[in-house]
Amino acid sequence: MANHSASHPAHVQHHFVDSDQQFDSAKLGMWVFLVNEILFFGGLFCAYIIFRAWYPELFTQAALQLDKVWGGVNTIVLIGSSLTVAMAIRSAQRNEIKGLRINLMITILLACVFLVIKYFEYEHKLHLGIAPGFFWNPAPEVTATLDHPQANIFFSIYYMMTGIHGLHVLVGIGLMIWLYIRAGKGHFSAEYYTPVEITGLYWHLVDLIWIFLFPLLYLIE
Amino acid sequence: MSAQEHHGHHIASVKMLWSVGIGLTILTVLTVVVSSLGLPSPLDILSALAIALAKAFLVATFFMALKWEHRFNAVLLIGAVVFFLLMVGVTLLDTMYRIEVVPSF
Amino acid sequence: MAITEAKKMTTLQVKRFKPSENPTNTFLTDEKGVWAWMTTVDHKKIGIMYLVAVAFFFALAGFLAIALRTELWTPAKTFIEADTYNQLFTLHGAMMVFFVLVPSIPAALGNFILPMQLGAKDVAFPRLNLASLYIYVAGAIFTFAALASGGFDTGWTFYTPYSSDGNGAGVIWVTLGVFILGFSSILTGTNFITTIHKLRAPGITWDRLPLNIWALYATSIIQVLATPVLAITILLLSFENIMDIGIFDPALGGDPVLFQHFFWFYSHPAVYIMIVPGFGIISEVISTFSKKTVFGYWAIALSSLAIAFIGFLVWGHHMFTSGQSAVATTVFSFLTFLVGIPTGIKIFNWIATLYRGSIDMKTPMLYVFIFLFLFSIGGFTGIMLGALSVDIHLHDTYYVVAHFHYVMMGGTLIALLAGLHYWWPKMTGKMYNEKLAQISAVLIFIGFNMTFLPQFIMGAQGMPRRYYNYIDQFTPFHQTSTIGSYILGVAFLIILYYLVKSLFSGEKAPSNPWNSRGLEWQSTSPPDFHNFDHTPVVINGPYDYHKPMEEFQLGLAVSHEGHDAEHAPAEVDTTEEKA
Repeated sequence: MANHSASHPAHVQHHFVDSDQQFDSAKLGMWVFLVNEILFFGGLFCAYIIFRAWYPELFTQAALQLDKVWGGVNTIVLIGSSLTVAMAIRSAQRNEIKGLRINLMITILLACVFLVIKYFEYEHKLHLGIAPGFFWNPAPEVTATLDHPQANIFFSIYYMMTGIHGLHVLVGIGLMIWLYIRAGKGHFSAEYYTPVEITGLYWHLVDLIWIFLFPLLYLIE
Repeated sequence: MSAQEHHGHHIASVKMLWSVGIGLTILTVLTVVVSSLGLPSPLDILSALAIALAKAFLVATFFMALKWEHRFNAVLLIGAVVFFLLMVGVTLLDTMYRIEVVPSF
Repeated sequence: MAITEAKKMTTLQVKRFKPSENPTNTFLTDEKGVWAWMTTVDHKKIGIMYLVAVAFFFALAGFLAIALRTELWTPAKTFIEADTYNQLFTLHGAMMVFFVLVPSIPAALGNFILPMQLGAKDVAFPRLNLASLYIYVAGAIFTFAALASGGFDTGWTFYTPYSSDGNGAGVIWVTLGVFILGFSSILTGTNFITTIHKLRAPGITWDRLPLNIWALYATSIIQVLATPVLAITILLLSFENIMDIGIFDPALGGDPVLFQHFFWFYSHPAVYIMIVPGFGIISEVISTFSKKTVFGYWAIALSSLAIAFIGFLVWGHHMFTSGQSAVATTVFSFLTFLVGIPTGIKIFNWIATLYRGSIDMKTPMLYVFIFLFLFSIGGFTGIMLGALSVDIHLHDTYYVVAHFHYVMMGGTLIALLAGLHYWWPKMTGKMYNEKLAQISAVLIFIGFNMTFLPQFIMGAQGMPRRYYNYIDQFTPFHQTSTIGSYILGVAFLIILYYLVKSLFSGEKAPSNPWNSRGLEWQSTSPPDFHNFDHTPVVINGPYDYHKPMEEFQLGLAVSHEGHDAEHAPAEVDTTEEKA
């Protein structure tokens, strides 16, 4: 457009009228994406529910192999990271860039703690031969309590669900490192913090998914 | 910019955020404790799901700020859950009523 | 949506902007060169690139179809081996569905038209729009990789256990290709929903949205809700193939019918991803060439949403003979009939729109009539197939093949052709040869019916689909069908000829050759880089043919003011218009 008005702030893309329209669009777009995510995980939850309805006894037996204390700790870690992400957005809104960076850093650290705990859980299971697919080769102490012809399916679902969720955590860490760097370069302010806001939404969804994964996988006994 | 007034620019108070965070932690501990009680079959899963739903409600309403958001964003979230439930519900109509459940090998 | 906010009755200063008939600066002249096209975020260029890609895959898959029909000329082997035949029909189906029908109308025509009909400069996320094109290309590369690694012959539905029992690397590649392709569809849907909600020009309230936008909106909702389920299904299938996770494979205790549920939870709504945007085009064209307000605006608009919703509840009618429970089968059969209601509402409203209109039988309108005829046959036979007891007889016969070709080709592709001929002058700034266009439309009608009507008869007599050989009594039907497919091929070649020719030696198109009231026609042909060189203001419905043209050419007198439709006044007093 010829008379591209000078009042257009630098962060507003040419096809938006003002900052608010851009912010609202970005947020709506993110929510639509979250709908995608919910139905993406929905497929896995659906498989979980159907197999659980077929083999209830399998699920109660198999859940014993999962350590609910560590699962609970991980839940609290993720909740904490959700809290710090919300705090980060608050800092950005109040133009406190230092607070924004600190909160982002804590979130990244908490996400890493989550993954480390998850790693040890996986390692423990793989050590016992509780592995997905054709690596399934449970040790005798596992088969003593878990004696079911479809036991591999529970753990296939377990690995798919937690694995894809873990992948989302990893992506979230990447995004937050990106935000941290951009915040350091002074890209964000109370006027413009859209990436922080929508990454926050994504992160809360990752938390939401885990809130359901935890009781369904660990606490069913 | 009238930040407080406009949808989507609501600034949450520290007190509120921490209360929600603590509430979520308490509910997490609660669900672990309840699961250790060994409730009979339908109750254990119902209690676990009820607590999970309460937690999800807290996260969506306060952390994701749906309370102060354009209403349509909440419609999207609820819509996604409804379609998920439809998918599960209708599939169960098949899997639960098969004449012969999956042949075992 | 803004509940607490009272509608601000700001008065907008508007003036008339008559589109120039000789634009010097258009999106085609703005950024030139291959690199500029490949890196552009302009929705119009992306739409055109999508169109070229879709046309390429259509030609490829169409060529396969002709090869298949040629093979079926004789009851035994004609010129290709049975295994090759299996691979060819799988490839034909997979390409037509995933590479042609799903992206055809939304991503190609929709990308071009949607922001223009909304008076926006672009879609909400232009870079994601470009990304979706490249994701589409990546998906295509994976599919070609599948061909290079031995091909696949599972049928386009990839049913387990065909697709999971070590059927070779081809299946893994092609399913990953479809997985990737899904993201392209998701990005388009996300973009459209956001654009429709947030980027409408002043005055475009929800009751002034063109019906094409309503249709694309319904389509986007389906894309967003269904496609992720396909993604997870294919991911599970891939892990099934790579490491035997056992969820779908009966040999490992899994359930193959569960795969069908997951697959059709996407793929049945995907049928509506294909057809609903076609409905949008039909509504636009019918109104323009009848010079009349669309009859039953809300009925047509909301029936798109109703189809989108009901479309999610009927997937099991593809599985009546799969061993799914009798309870589910009955429910699915009943729900399937419900889809007929909103679809019927649309057809009746279109007919009512035609009634006493001043009908102009230009090529787009010709295609609309072909659509009404073919799609109605497709729809009615769909109802028959939805009837449980009838389906047991007709399942997996040529009857089904004929049915979905009537719906998908007679519906979606004919609507695509209507839209292509309707918007071609706007997109390219050139007029095509009307006489050749009409001849090829008639040829398509004849060829199509010759190809697929005999298939209904064969199917009802028991000719199964996907068979390489057949018994002698079906020979005349198959041969008629084959001749019909050749006529179709010739017709498409003629279309290709005159469209390409129009680019080089076509007559220059006026800005509004059909005298449409649609906002997209109130720009130059081809449009400016920013679609309009002003911010359009809309004060009438998109089909108000009883109002003078100048009321449809308004724009903000002062640039950049209240682009947000929510805050716009319900009425702009046109008297304060100052030229």
